[in-house]
This record gives sequence, C-alpha cells and structure tokens, in this order.
Amino acid sequence: MKYFIMVLQISVLFLFNFIGQFIRDYFSLSIPGSLIGMLLLFILLILKIIPIAWIQTGIDVILKDIPFFFIPVTVGVVQYLSFFQGKGSLTILLVIVSTFFVISISGIVTNFIIKKEEKSYE
Amino acid sequence: MNSFLIGLIAFIGTFIIYQISKRMYQKKPIPFTLPIFLSTAVIVIFLLFTGIPYKTYMIGGQWIDIFLGPIVVSLAIPLYREIHLIKKYAGAISIGIFAGSLTGVFTGIAGAKLFRFESLVIQSIAAKSVTTPIAISITEAVGGGSASLVAVFVMIAGISGGMFGPVILKICRIQHPVAKGLSIGTASHAIGTAKALENSELEGAVSALSMTISAVVVSFLVPVFLAFM
Repeated sequence: MKYFIMVLQISVLFLFNFIGQFIRDYFSLSIPGSLIGMLLLFILLILKIIPIAWIQTGIDVILKDIPFFFIPVTVGVVQYLSFFQGKGSLTILLVIVSTFFVISISGIVTNFIIKKEEKSYE
Repeated sequence: MNSFLIGLIAFIGTFIIYQISKRMYQKKPIPFTLPIFLSTAVIVIFLLFTGIPYKTYMIGGQWIDIFLGPIVVSLAIPLYREIHLIKKYAGAISIGIFAGSLTGVFTGIAGAKLFRFESLVIQSIAAKSVTTPIAISITEAVGGGSASLVAVFVMIAGISGGMFGPVILKICRIQHPVAKGLSIGTASHAIGTAKALENSELEGAVSALSMTISAVVVSFLVPVFLAFM
C-alpha cells in the first residue's frame, strides 16, 4: 500500500508536466512546459488546494536522488569527445569563467542590499 | 539479445554504478567523487572500452530520461517549504538572483560568440547555470542545441562553482549566509546547493531556492538574449 501511494504521488509530477506541456503548446510559449507545471503546482500548494502532505513522501524519494536521473543524458558527452579534444576545450574554460562571474556578481549585489536593509532597521 | 533485455541491463547497471558512486562520495566528499561526475565517467569509459554505441545504452537510458520533466515539477516542493525565506529577504533575493542569472546568460553567450562557436554550441551554453532538466528544456524550447552538450556544460558549471565558490566568496568579502547561498545556487544549481548545505542549513535552503528561481528567470532570458545578441 505504501509503495502504491508513492507511485501515485510521483505520477502527480507526470500529470503536471503533461499539463505544462499542453499549456506551452497551446499558447506557443518559449518557456519549458515542465517549468509551467512546476509553477502551477507551486501555486496550488500556496493556495492549499493541494495539501503538501498528500504528495511529499513519494516526491521526497525522487528529490533525494535527483542526480541519478541526469546520468544518461550526461553520458551523451561520449558523442562529443572529439569536440572537447579540439577547439571545444575552450568552452570548458568559458563555462568556468562565466560561473565565477555569476558567483561574484550575485554575491556582491545580494550582500550589499542585505547590509543596507539591516542598517535602515537600526 | 532483444532490446528489452539490453534496456534492462543498461538501467540496472546505471543504478548500481550510481549507488556505488554515492557511497564513495559519502566516504570522500570531493568534487571528483560527486555521484553525477563519477557515474558518468565510469559509464563513458565503459562504453568507449567495449565499443558499445551511446544509442544502444540509451535503450535503457531513455527510461530514466522520461523523468527529466517531472523532476523539474518536483522542485515546487522545496520551493514551497522555503517560502518563509522568500518573504523575509524578498528584495535582496530577487535582485541578487536576477543579477546573477543575467550575468550567466550574457557572459556565456558573449564568450561563445567571441570565440566564433557555431550556433549549436552557443545555444547549448546559454542556460548552463541552471539545473540539468531545466537547462535541457530551455534549450529545447528555443529550438536548438544538444541535450548532451547542455548536460556537460551544466556539470562543469556545477563542479567549478562547488570547488572554487568558497574562495571567490572570500575574495569578494561576501559574508552574509543568504548572499553566500544565493550566489552558489544561482551559479551552480544542485551541485552548488550540496556544497552550501555543508556550511549551514540556512545557506543550503537559500541555495536551493535560488537555483529554482534562477531557473525561471533564465528560461525567460535565454530566448531574448539568443534573439538579440
């Protein structure tokens, strides 16, 4: 019974993914359907139309092992090995530098605003 | 061998390799034992060594791939659990995440254009700062790129941020735990969040929140920047 409920809870994710895809196709939006499904579920949780207790145990099982689901698509790099041996190796450096920029800029901006807000409370 | 059996072997093999990688990471938590990195490396080496084509592996791999969309949906759960944080730091969090997402998309596309990469690479690099399934969906939504290239760029963004994030934060004198968690989550998604969780619960929660919100922001930014840059 316990596992049956978990499977049902996980299928809720498939349902919302499907609804999101449908909305995306229907309005021909450029944001992913899965993300629309996520926002929809989030809104229904906030409005307490779907109580979190109904779905969380099964979904927590998936959340705990998210990286597992990324393995097959990441293994696809095997098709691009020659790309990364040539000019493509530059992209590795590019991604790393871009990541450093994101960390420093978002960190500095957030730190600045929080400090300013905390000062105005004093 | 029929294709169902091949699929089953690929699926079970991937699962076992993942479980072993997880144990290794628990014993020695360094970036190179991250389960996603270690499992991928082992399977890639295995495929190269045996000469089994990626297509054959994907007979089982596609059973796992169907979860990529639903996993994005599942992120609504942690987002809902952290709602008190969103309310408390609403201003700083929204501006910080927006600044970071903008930086990631802009520098990624600009860099790839600078080195004159073809559009397949530019499209695949644009969403590299967000978690794998969303990055793939974003890339598919703009109608280009390669899911596997996206996944690799996402992994590099995650590992490099997890490895060097703490040093960068120190150099930039970023001390507030909310700012620290936010920057790692915005830049390095789930891998960064795992690192932030090692420091404190608050940092981890903010990081999880940031990777989710930044994914939403990036999904709006990528189509715009690809069209106008």
